[in-house]
Amino acid sequence: MATREDVIEDFGHVSRTAGTVFRYLLLAATLFGIVALAVLLLYVANDAIQPLTADPGWHLTFFLTLVVPTLAVSSYLFRTDPVSFRFGASIVGLLAVSTMFAGGMAMIFVDIVPPVVWFGYVLALCLSLAGVVVIERFDRQLPFLARFVAAGAIVVGAFAVVPGLVQSLPVYPTDDILLTLSFGAPIAAVVGRYAAADAGRRGRLLAIGAGVVAIGLGGVVGPLLGVTPVPATVILSLAVVPTAGYAAGIVRRHPARRSGLVLTAVVLLGAFGGAAAVDALGFAGPQSWVDWQFLTSAHSGDAINAGLYPAIGGSILLMVTVAALSFPLGVGAAVYLEEYAPDNRFTRFIDVNISNLAGVPSVVYGLLGLAVFVTYLGQPTGTVLIGGATLALLILPIVIISAREALRSVPDSMRQASYGMGATRWQTIRNVVLPRAFPGILTGTILALGRAIGETAPLIMIGAPNVLFSLPTGLSSKVSAMPLQVYAWASLFASDPFYQAAVPAGVVVLLVVLLSMNSVAIVLRNKYQSDSQ
Amino acid sequence: MSTDDITRDLTRRTENSPRELLTRSFFFLCAVLSIVTTVSIILMLTTEAAKFFSVTAPLMGIEGPTASVVDFFTGTEWVINNEQFGVLPLVSATLAVTIGSAVVAIPLGVATAIYLSEYASSRAQRVLKPALEVLAGVPTVVYGFFAVVYITPALKTVIPGLGTFNMLSASIVVGIMIIPMVASISEDAMSAVPDSLRQAGYGMGATKFDVSVGIVVPASLSGIFSSFILALSRAIGETMAVTVAAGSQANLLNPLNPTAYLEGALPMTAAMVNLLTGDVTGGGVAYRSLFAIGLTLFVITLIMNIISDLVAQRYREEY
Repeated sequence: MATREDVIEDFGHVSRTAGTVFRYLLLAATLFGIVALAVLLLYVANDAIQPLTADPGWHLTFFLTLVVPTLAVSSYLFRTDPVSFRFGASIVGLLAVSTMFAGGMAMIFVDIVPPVVWFGYVLALCLSLAGVVVIERFDRQLPFLARFVAAGAIVVGAFAVVPGLVQSLPVYPTDDILLTLSFGAPIAAVVGRYAAADAGRRGRLLAIGAGVVAIGLGGVVGPLLGVTPVPATVILSLAVVPTAGYAAGIVRRHPARRSGLVLTAVVLLGAFGGAAAVDALGFAGPQSWVDWQFLTSAHSGDAINAGLYPAIGGSILLMVTVAALSFPLGVGAAVYLEEYAPDNRFTRFIDVNISNLAGVPSVVYGLLGLAVFVTYLGQPTGTVLIGGATLALLILPIVIISAREALRSVPDSMRQASYGMGATRWQTIRNVVLPRAFPGILTGTILALGRAIGETAPLIMIGAPNVLFSLPTGLSSKVSAMPLQVYAWASLFASDPFYQAAVPAGVVVLLVVLLSMNSVAIVLRNKYQSDSQ
Repeated sequence: MSTDDITRDLTRRTENSPRELLTRSFFFLCAVLSIVTTVSIILMLTTEAAKFFSVTAPLMGIEGPTASVVDFFTGTEWVINNEQFGVLPLVSATLAVTIGSAVVAIPLGVATAIYLSEYASSRAQRVLKPALEVLAGVPTVVYGFFAVVYITPALKTVIPGLGTFNMLSASIVVGIMIIPMVASISEDAMSAVPDSLRQAGYGMGATKFDVSVGIVVPASLSGIFSSFILALSRAIGETMAVTVAAGSQANLLNPLNPTAYLEGALPMTAAMVNLLTGDVTGGGVAYRSLFAIGLTLFVITLIMNIISDLVAQRYREEY
């Protein structure tokens, strides 16, 4: 081998300039999209809420009652006790997000599902569950198929008879009492069990009872504060009681975090105190386009009076339908692929097929819904059912892919342990794999649902109406959705008043819903990841 | 309990008991649904598009106006009222949006991926990654509104000749939308490059810059390319942003000519939405042209997805 004659005189000079410039260029590129979006969001929020139209006194009052105390308390807490700070802030966030979703739920009970009907179905569910439990417990000797058929008969029978029976009762209690029993009580039971998990049976019962009483009082106290009984009951059961229960549960488990509640109290007192003070002093708030009128009225040809109410209700119904269809199907497919599927050509084909389906444009899914549901199955265009089914097909690949990831993260040793105890495959999946993977599956499903409620094109394809003046009343009525309404305003009614008032307001509502869903998913994921480490 | 029971319980074959069979077949059916979806997409698009073309329409038992295949793929006019169905203007507009968004998203996305995988602390990653996810999570109709109401007027102060609806701002928002896709897939590929390669680089006296550009990027090139193709296929299928921002006037433009971006055009997806929001009655030839465009779009995105898969698998460096 010939020797090289190169002589190295020194190591040369290494400049750090290129590296430094490169690094900051990369950082700038990373931030470009985020900053651009943030600026656009600021613009649209400014157009929708118009904070500068408020009285300076209004800003000053809220600055003094809300901003200053909150900043003071949080900076103190953040320096001395970051864990408590995070706890207090999370309670505030939880309360805000859950109140928003409770508002949507209240809308369903006010305008779509009367509480009596809901009560009937819950009663039917309870009776059929009780029947199934009785069959499972007392008739171990019956063969499985016989038990399965009997349970099925009880469930079908209960749902066929009970709701009608309840509705035909001549006298029934007021709506808020029905909701307290059928909606608030189950939530209070779950929350109470969590809050008083270590307090023994008596303590748990007391906690549950306190929750139910609090929810029941909502129907009485709400009207005094200007909230009608049904929304008051729903907000108490979905927002106030769960948040209070969560806070109580955490404080019982980690008493040191108690000081975080000071932050929550300061924020709440500041917000309500500020509102009362502004009212008493007569300072006018901003002339926001996102106001009560916008949230509760229907479309109008006049941008000032246009509202989003039917679209919000449609989005909620679509979301429920999509979740009900895509969650079981997606998780089912993921379970098959991860737990059952043999490693053969067919499985690999399904695998490739799913990743390709995830890349199919959403308009094509819309065409699929149009051709299959409308042309071939003869369904009417633009209903909740076919809209929900089309969107469910659209997000199914995303749900499957994320659910598979969650299932894959369950360690194999846990499965082996379960098989070692003599469990069958289904028992292992039900008792070991699914509970462990559940938070991950939930995160993926929430993110996918966020994608579904932001979709417009498939809804246009299946013929959802651009303008709708009333809420859909069932699965077969026409549906609009928030993004669809925004699109209609931005393109079909394209004019300056709509661009300046209705569209920004619609965009802000849509984004607030979406961002809070995403943040719930991200918080869940972070919590889950830190728990499993 | 007698011993017989225990023997029976212990020797029972559980794999094919009714309960196991029932659950297993349910899960199997869920998985098969994805194949049913694909098959019905393909069947639906081909049969409905077949009713549109005059070559195949008689086979489907369709009478009335149809369009010839040659005219569809080579025609340069898209005027529904005159029954002129030339898809080229739509394809050229789609191509323009794709190229324009690639110019925005590819450099920014790759730079983001390099920053996240090589430079960012884990703390910065925890903040930046969810923030980037938000970019992809904003509904596309909102991006369209941003393009028309905020970006176009801002650009007009720099470029006076810009139309109210133009391809430039449509491309910019679609580009911003697909940055996270380029970034996250490329970053996965870069994170998969083993640390030993980086250490070897440092051992040779390379700076962080040299290692990033000279080692990590070449080693993850297949992943980066596959992220480009996936993101561009997403840009091609992107609907609402271009429908709102690009206007509704179909015209044939040259995507490589920068001045073409100053005016509006009608990409394929926007044409489909316009067909349905306009006065198209079900069953007419215009209605069936919807499926012909849909088929074109589906085939293009499918081919791109498959190529991306192949690139990622065939050229992946195994470490």
